Amino acid sequence: MTSRLMVRVLVTLVAFAVLARIPVGFDVGFKFDSGLAVIWAFGLLSLVLLTGYVGQISLCQATFAGVGAYAAGMMTATFHVDYIVAVAVGVAAAFALGIIVGLPALRLHGITLAIVTLGIALVFDRYVFQDHAFEWFTGGTGGWSVREASMFGLQMDSSKHLMAAYVVLLALFCLVGLLMVNLHDSGAGRRFRAIRDSELAAATMGVDLTRYKLLAFGMSAAIAGLGGAFYPLVAGTVSPQPFWLFTSLQFAAIAVLMGVRYVPAAALGGAFMAFVPDVLTRFGHGSLFGHQYEISYDWFQIAVGVLLIVQLIALPDGVWGDLRNRVRHARSTVGALGGRRVKVA
Amino acid sequence: MTMLRVRDMTVRFGGIVALDGISLDLNRGEILGLIGPNGAGKTTLFNCISGVIHPDRGSIFFEGHSLVYAPPHVRARFGIARTFQNLQLWGSMTVEENLVVPMDALGRRNTFSDALYLPFSAYAERASRERARAILHVLELDRYARTLAADLPAGIQRRVEIARALAMRPRLLLLDEPAAGLDAQETARLAELLHAVRQRFHVSMLLVDHDMSLVLRVCDYVYVLDFGKLLARGQPSAIRSDPKVIAAYLGEESNQSTGETTTVVAAPKQAAPLLEVKQLAAGYGGLEVIRDVSLQVRPGEVVACIGANGAGKTTTLRAISGMIHPRRGRVMFAGIEVTGRSAERISKLGLIHIPEGRGLFPRLTVEDTLRLVSNTAGHEVDITPAFQLFPKLRERRRQLVGTLSGGEQQMVAMGRAILSKPRLVMIDEMSQGLAPSVVQQLFEIIRVFRDEGIAVLLVEQFVESALDVADRAYVFEHGSIGLSGAAVDLRRDRKLVAGSYLGTAVETPAMAAANGNEHRVDPALMEIVSVRVPAKVKRALEQRAEAEGRPTGAVAIELLEKVDRQ
Repeated sequence: MTSRLMVRVLVTLVAFAVLARIPVGFDVGFKFDSGLAVIWAFGLLSLVLLTGYVGQISLCQATFAGVGAYAAGMMTATFHVDYIVAVAVGVAAAFALGIIVGLPALRLHGITLAIVTLGIALVFDRYVFQDHAFEWFTGGTGGWSVREASMFGLQMDSSKHLMAAYVVLLALFCLVGLLMVNLHDSGAGRRFRAIRDSELAAATMGVDLTRYKLLAFGMSAAIAGLGGAFYPLVAGTVSPQPFWLFTSLQFAAIAVLMGVRYVPAAALGGAFMAFVPDVLTRFGHGSLFGHQYEISYDWFQIAVGVLLIVQLIALPDGVWGDLRNRVRHARSTVGALGGRRVKVA
Repeated sequence: MTMLRVRDMTVRFGGIVALDGISLDLNRGEILGLIGPNGAGKTTLFNCISGVIHPDRGSIFFEGHSLVYAPPHVRARFGIARTFQNLQLWGSMTVEENLVVPMDALGRRNTFSDALYLPFSAYAERASRERARAILHVLELDRYARTLAADLPAGIQRRVEIARALAMRPRLLLLDEPAAGLDAQETARLAELLHAVRQRFHVSMLLVDHDMSLVLRVCDYVYVLDFGKLLARGQPSAIRSDPKVIAAYLGEESNQSTGETTTVVAAPKQAAPLLEVKQLAAGYGGLEVIRDVSLQVRPGEVVACIGANGAGKTTTLRAISGMIHPRRGRVMFAGIEVTGRSAERISKLGLIHIPEGRGLFPRLTVEDTLRLVSNTAGHEVDITPAFQLFPKLRERRRQLVGTLSGGEQQMVAMGRAILSKPRLVMIDEMSQGLAPSVVQQLFEIIRVFRDEGIAVLLVEQFVESALDVADRAYVFEHGSIGLSGAAVDLRRDRKLVAGSYLGTAVETPAMAAANGNEHRVDPALMEIVSVRVPAKVKRALEQRAEAEGRPTGAVAIELLEKVDRQ
């Protein structure tokens, strides 16, 4: 048990070291994408917990991220607090909203729950993030501009210190991801998975559904909000557009595409969501064999749709999930051939 | 000493009264049986006790706690565990993990300390796994400990469900159809297992099962429900010979003498069979429901399939009509092999299956439903024959099928069947949920079918009526055919049929001390499930028992009963 934990910590540290170095040579645009990738990865990670572990559907994860972003933006822009405090407030706000959204989930399942969460995303998109009544929270049409912020007393200018913000985000993601993997195998994780596999059996075997479902929604919203709270630092501003309804839908689609039950799949999905559209707009035009071609951002949406269909047929456990299963299968086959027992971590 | 006390329990689903003022007592250490035909309300009562549904009226007391407003997990903490008829194991977890979940859920565990592997959690985790392995060992499930629950065959999954329930250290174990899908031998082993479980884990049990042989073998006392009401209660031996119970299972013995009804159109015995089923096996997922079913239907013959619930009658019909794929065996219809063909291709050959619940579209009108037949026939069909057969439907032709009564819906289904000019109609549970007068009418229609040369294969709960109309019958037992013969012979030998429903050769459990609620429980058994009492009281009890020359348990029960009554 402890040795497995050690392996996980080591793998996480190595992953952190490698990933932290990758964007060093990038230009500003791609550095921004790197930060964005981790923010989206947090959104996908929140679905790993909520959908992958607990089996609840939510189509408003971007709303949670948005609430985190706006709360953090408000705290820095109006109260000029240390950015860590702003993040904490953003996470707390998202957690509270998550608990509220979790209330209907106590009664609803499947498609009805999806519709309710979709409604919540729509309401926040239209009537909170873009409404005058909530200007104190959203900073009006322009949103909050966070040009200067300090974290632990260090200056974190969004344009100059993108890499610093990225490394902090990445470190947090590795930490939360490690906790999530641990949670999966722990007693609490088993109770969550029991709810996913059979709610009826979970309730009659002593699992308090109210408590654990609300906890799952709260924790999930907090994770999404943690990523969102760093958005003002990375982008220098907060606007409704990144947290609109469509981002929520994209979270759901890409989480399923990459494998909704696996933490590394969230990182993979985050990178996919941040980099692919940017790469398409930058390099998506030119000439090939004498033909002019132009790939616009719209192609990204279509590509996601097509990939999703292909994945559901060919890789039902998601891109990451299926690859992982195949590698494990190959390893145990090789082990059996060699007459050795392969320890599968 | 009463452990569970249910009083005046009433549950309504819409207009249907599922439970109508049921009262029930369960003693410590007792295995209480709950039986009754389909739709009698057994599972509803079960769900009320485990808190899955809330009763409209009535009270439940468990060891002095009122349970009416307690959510399921609170009842679990009081010590009520249950298993499920349709297996509800957590499929993505190993068997061992399945057992650890209820243990952890009942202990006060902290989510955050769990996620961080703090020492307290790690210790509790090891302890839970140790206990899980001990339980698995007792139930002879050791070698499955690391297997994913979803990968196990259904019979093993049922044992794991019992193990998981025991992991909660329950005081009352609710078992919902633990013998479903098991054959006679496995059922006998289950009975032994349940006795062993009572001895080892000191639990009382409430057992619901269709398999009467199991219920009558393991239970100390039996309640019989019918249409949500308490029909009878008593010891197994008394229940078996109770005429009311036999009537509920087999239908009222009809008044017509057997001589009159033998207006059997002398079915040409030598005619080639229209439907021939050979050694058919089928099931769902890991569950093999029927094995080795062979039967024949000749042209223009009415054949009934009877037998206890879960014996495999419906599955047989489904495998014949192509709704599910047979696993082994052959199905020949009109000389053509149809094994494994799709349902629509089989129906085009003239084999119509009216499923349980009638398979109608509630939002279509009667007329549209009947006109749908043209799709299968390929041309516009004249729907008047259906109206001639059921004049009532002509009046209601514009009404939505969903708003019709159950009997009228069955008429629509039968009318639709006859329009497609079938050669064989299979009707599943035609009389389910219908009043006896309506049922009689429908049986008349079956005679009309036969007169028109249409063969009929019936699956029926009302055995008497079915045998009345049928030429021949097959009696299903544990997924295969136990008995077959001419309907007339089977009617005459009522006991034979009753045996296949109520089980035979059952030894009554040893009984001793009478109890406050008339149940009788073995005092030695009461001892092992003894109440926790201070050592001083226990010594006093023992002295008194010695003085009176009775078992300590009996004295304790007597005293507790006194307290209980006050």
